[in-house]
Amino acid sequence: MKNGLKKGNSTTRMLLAPYSLWSVIFIVVPLLFIAYYAFTDNNFNFTLENITRFFTATSQLTADDGTVTEVRTYLMIFMRSLKLAIISTVICLGMGYPLAYIMARAEEKTQRIMMTLIMIPMWMNFLIRTYAWMTILQDTGIFNSILGVFGIDPVHIIGTEGAVVIGMVYDYFPYMVLPIYSIMAKMDIRLIEAAHDLGCNSLATLRRVIFPLSLPGVMSGITMVLIPSISTFYISQKLGNGKFFLIGDAIEGQYVANNLHFAAAIAFILMIILLVCMGIANYFTSRRVYGG
Amino acid sequence: MKKIIELKNISKAFDGDTVLNNISLDIYDNEFLTLLGPSGCGKTTLLRIISGFVHPDDGEVVFMGDDITDLPPHKRNVNTVFQKYALFPHLNVYENVAFPLREKKVPKDEIDKKVKEMLKLVMLSGFEKRNVTSLSGGQQQRVAIARALVNHPKVLLLDEPLSALDLKLRKDMQQELKNIQKSTGITFVFVTHDQEEALSMSDTIVVMSEGVIQQIGTPVDIYNEPENAFVADFIGESNIIDGVMVRDGEARFSGQTFPCLDKGFAPKEPVDIVIRPEDVDIVPVEKGMLEGIVTSVTFMGVHYEIIVDVKGFKWMIQTTDFVDVDEHIGIFLEPDAIHVMKKSKYSGMFGDYSSFSDELEQLSVGGNEEE
Amino acid sequence: MKKSASRIYTAIIFAFLFAPIIILLIFSFNEGKSLSVFTGFSLKWYKELFNDANTLEALKNSLVLAFSATAISVFLGTMASVGINKLRSRWYRTAIDTVTNIPMTNPDIITGISLMLMFVFVGRLFGASTSLNFLTMLIAHVTFCLPYVILQVLPKLQQMDKSLAEAAMDLGCPPLRAFFKVELPEIMPGIITGAIMAFTMSLDDFVISYFTSGNGFQTLPIRIYGMTKKTVTPKMYALATIIFFVTLTLLLINNIVDNEDSQKLKEAKRIQKGEKPEGDYNPRKRNMALALAGVLVVALTFGAFSGSSASKELNVYNWGEYISDGSEGSFDTIKEFEKWYEENYGEKITVNYDTFASNEDMYNKISSGAVSYDIIIPSDYMIARMASEDMLLPIDFENIPNYQYIGEDFKGLYYDPDNQYTVPYTYGVVGVIYDANVVDKADIGGWDLLWNEKYANKIVQFNNSRDAFGTAMFKLGIDVNTTDTALWDKAHEEMIKQRPLVYSFVMDEIFNIMQSGEASIGAYYAGDYFTMMEDQADDVDLQFYYPEHTNMFIDAMCIPSCAQNKELAEIFINYMLGEEAAVANAEYTYYASPNRLVYENETYIEDMGEETVEILYPEFEDFAAEYNRYAYRTLSTDMLSYLNSLWETVKVN
Repeated sequence: MKNGLKKGNSTTRMLLAPYSLWSVIFIVVPLLFIAYYAFTDNNFNFTLENITRFFTATSQLTADDGTVTEVRTYLMIFMRSLKLAIISTVICLGMGYPLAYIMARAEEKTQRIMMTLIMIPMWMNFLIRTYAWMTILQDTGIFNSILGVFGIDPVHIIGTEGAVVIGMVYDYFPYMVLPIYSIMAKMDIRLIEAAHDLGCNSLATLRRVIFPLSLPGVMSGITMVLIPSISTFYISQKLGNGKFFLIGDAIEGQYVANNLHFAAAIAFILMIILLVCMGIANYFTSRRVYGG
Repeated sequence: MKKIIELKNISKAFDGDTVLNNISLDIYDNEFLTLLGPSGCGKTTLLRIISGFVHPDDGEVVFMGDDITDLPPHKRNVNTVFQKYALFPHLNVYENVAFPLREKKVPKDEIDKKVKEMLKLVMLSGFEKRNVTSLSGGQQQRVAIARALVNHPKVLLLDEPLSALDLKLRKDMQQELKNIQKSTGITFVFVTHDQEEALSMSDTIVVMSEGVIQQIGTPVDIYNEPENAFVADFIGESNIIDGVMVRDGEARFSGQTFPCLDKGFAPKEPVDIVIRPEDVDIVPVEKGMLEGIVTSVTFMGVHYEIIVDVKGFKWMIQTTDFVDVDEHIGIFLEPDAIHVMKKSKYSGMFGDYSSFSDELEQLSVGGNEEE
Repeated sequence: MKKSASRIYTAIIFAFLFAPIIILLIFSFNEGKSLSVFTGFSLKWYKELFNDANTLEALKNSLVLAFSATAISVFLGTMASVGINKLRSRWYRTAIDTVTNIPMTNPDIITGISLMLMFVFVGRLFGASTSLNFLTMLIAHVTFCLPYVILQVLPKLQQMDKSLAEAAMDLGCPPLRAFFKVELPEIMPGIITGAIMAFTMSLDDFVISYFTSGNGFQTLPIRIYGMTKKTVTPKMYALATIIFFVTLTLLLINNIVDNEDSQKLKEAKRIQKGEKPEGDYNPRKRNMALALAGVLVVALTFGAFSGSSASKELNVYNWGEYISDGSEGSFDTIKEFEKWYEENYGEKITVNYDTFASNEDMYNKISSGAVSYDIIIPSDYMIARMASEDMLLPIDFENIPNYQYIGEDFKGLYYDPDNQYTVPYTYGVVGVIYDANVVDKADIGGWDLLWNEKYANKIVQFNNSRDAFGTAMFKLGIDVNTTDTALWDKAHEEMIKQRPLVYSFVMDEIFNIMQSGEASIGAYYAGDYFTMMEDQADDVDLQFYYPEHTNMFIDAMCIPSCAQNKELAEIFINYMLGEEAAVANAEYTYYASPNRLVYENETYIEDMGEETVEILYPEFEDFAAEYNRYAYRTLSTDMLSYLNSLWETVKVN
């Protein structure tokens, strides 16, 4: 018996060793490198300058009426990224949740077809997809040509925050739908019947049973949309006409300018902020599930 | 007694397979009614038609005089205890029970009062804050009952609620359900495939097979006076023997004529004879009305169960006296041990104890076919 | 009623999801170059695509990388899942769960940067000539694919009936065989889903690849990124269309296999009911599909590695779209060189040709030691910087007899005063491009046009600090290489003033934007003006002029100190200066050439048209003086970071 246990343990260890080693070397250690670069200068001497620069660098903002205000550059960039990412995530959730619900209720064959349809855009190159949006949204683009056919004045979309949000929503939409769908498809149908049986109409059932039960899916959907939206740089370059500098652009810009240490500092701070946010969100959702 | 639910000519088919065939049934106030039958007989579908999850293809559901056939489940004054309870995992015990009250916007203090009262009824006081997934099967069962009862429905539907519990717990819960039903005065419609459970709990038993009601009656009626071979076989153990009604009070089977109490059959009418194993007396060969050879003996605790070959037909007999395999014995039947039934489509399908279950019989038949 | 509402909703969502895909399907068949105006049906972009060796190579690389990364991560991930499932230690389990989550919840950009920092650091530590290569990319891809595999496989293991394996062992199967015979088939659906997800992620990944890609191994997204910085032609759409249909077929096949599975389930149910089984479900079909996929992988992998069998290799690092590459019937410089070399030296040679998007991009890769090239073609200021940092090797001009054809004007300039390191490739002069249908003749002539409020939202500005500030400094008459921060501040004020008028900050996006009439005024290089003009929309009439003072640049071929084969590099440079290659490249890039064999070549002048040549080669009284004064020079690190912070405040607005 004792022998058997030991043997089981060593098999487990053998199975886990390659992955554990891989994770430590290629996941944990690289993050330490970010921290190391963030807190050192070009000669690898310890410094806090990169971190303080993130919080203190200022620039002048000129409003349309000419008034000038001073703002903290990177904090503002971060807040803007956060704002656009949150808007995109909310839109994705608003659009994706009903779709996931419809999918989960559809016939099995329909479900599979819809699933395939949602996956297909993910296989088309992300850069080409975004580029295609550029040609759709620009002032003389396809969208405005279609409006023109109906005699509607062209709308200026490209280069606005709206265009960036459209790009983010488009590119990350499947990441919202798929986790919600998969949890809804697995949901015990009897729970929904029980809710109806206990006097809930469809809407109340959705609100009181289906939504709370799908929260884990919603949470992972939100994570999977928010994280890439907040750190994107290609979308803002192409659809924002390079006018909406986001935190991803800042990191990429510093990388291209060979300021690796400052790039690492921005990445480090972004990572810490996101970790804290995720921690808080997880804490609250896990409590909600049991608290009622 | 007042009719609460009337099912009128209900039919239902799934993908062309008829599940319910022209069912009519009245359910009365304050009644413990059991839908009994093997799996696939349509009992659960019938229950779901009452709760509103299934819409019948034909027929109507009348609830206290109103046609509710098209009423959605949440508007019906009936509640269900689901087979695997269907407790909401994201809510604790208290919130599960309070669920229907909150939907009705009942004031807070009243919710509190009612939930506490219900939890007390199912003996779960003090479990309010517990997470439902941490409860045992029996406790989850009680929560499900409390939740279904908190709204004081006119009818409570129970879909095989005890099937997941172990034997002792099941016995306790049977007793408790019966008590709850009595104390609340709510009509219970109970679905089960366990005939013992049905006999011990019900006021009325509805035996179903192949989407058709075979018999409706009290447990005693159903046991003593089964209407056909199916009912006789399904409820308790029965030896079902091909016979002829010679005249009123006289039946002939196994090559002998026996006095019996049944009457009202046509002269020489072919019938099915039911003899319960416990009603057979074993006597010395010379005193017996029939003679047989013991082929197997099984000790069951309170009695022996012996299989006796009588002219090629295997009888089951329950006796407290020990007999040995290969022993020749005599069989004696009192007139009230013999129950005569009309022939039905089930005739000849049951009642011989060459094997116990239908499945084994089918398998051996199937196996033969393939060979 | 409800049903139709949900149908309409679903239809709208899918319309949104497929709008851009339909657009690119349509425009892949466009006859013209435009991505927004359809001029006629043609298959020419598909032909172009199949002639574009670099893109096909990148596609192959992407597939090889995705297959390898998927195979490794499926193997490691499944093994790890089995281990995790057996794990009893609480803290170990928590630790593994947390680490597995990191690549999923960390932004790609952080994962990419962190891996890049480590690879480069370790590479430098061991003095490796290149630290970023196929292997590092593979490691990066496996790292972010692993969690997806584990997330699919682990739940299947947890759901599995534990007694299955025990039953097998009870019946005499040794544990390992029991795993393969009983457990593996049970968790196969999870493994397949995980593999598909890993493959998808790997194939589509751009960000992590962007930071970890290195020598001679360019994936498709990296190549596309380089192209979208430059002009994007419907060729890319043709590629996307092909990917679309291949994907569609694969997914359909997968669906059919799935269907059979559910049929199997139905069969099982029928048998349970005691009915006789029907249909002809064949479990072998699935195995065949899997085997087919396996064969495909092996074939592709072999194809990938068999290609590079030549012993000698030359690594060239150039701007994207900066060499005549055989597209649209042009001269295929690289292929011709390989052929020419074999004929003259009797030896096979392979040229690995990679592209960069900016001088800084190139500088970072080279200076980090991540890559190693034999030839690079940077711009003047970057050459000066690299020379000062000992990153260039002196060229042996004895090996480059064709150097004699380089015009005297282009020798001894500031970035290489002693003619040690460089052989000029192209030069260009910045001018103002405008749409004559929008801009009044009266307004043109100077830099002021870019600040003219009449054309608010019609002006584009450079999306890089040096060029953008340059326009303001030329406008104000400030020395573009000044070290006086006050003067830079003045230029900054000018930039802030211009900001509300700017439609977009662009680099190569300017092509599309100006061609389509999205914007009407922008400063750019003369050569690019002609490229734009070729494909301008019907209602656009692009014109060009030089303001009084303007920036000039020279891009030159250099040999970086990390070169592995200097002699071969010199042979290549000499070949590039030869008439055939030089003319072809000048015609292809539309930039001015410093090579007499080109600008005095009559067919070239004829091909280009005299007007074009006049604009491309403006007359200078004293080219060297003008150039040395107005070309951008390397700024000190302090000045650069000052400029950078000014630039960020312009962009932040």
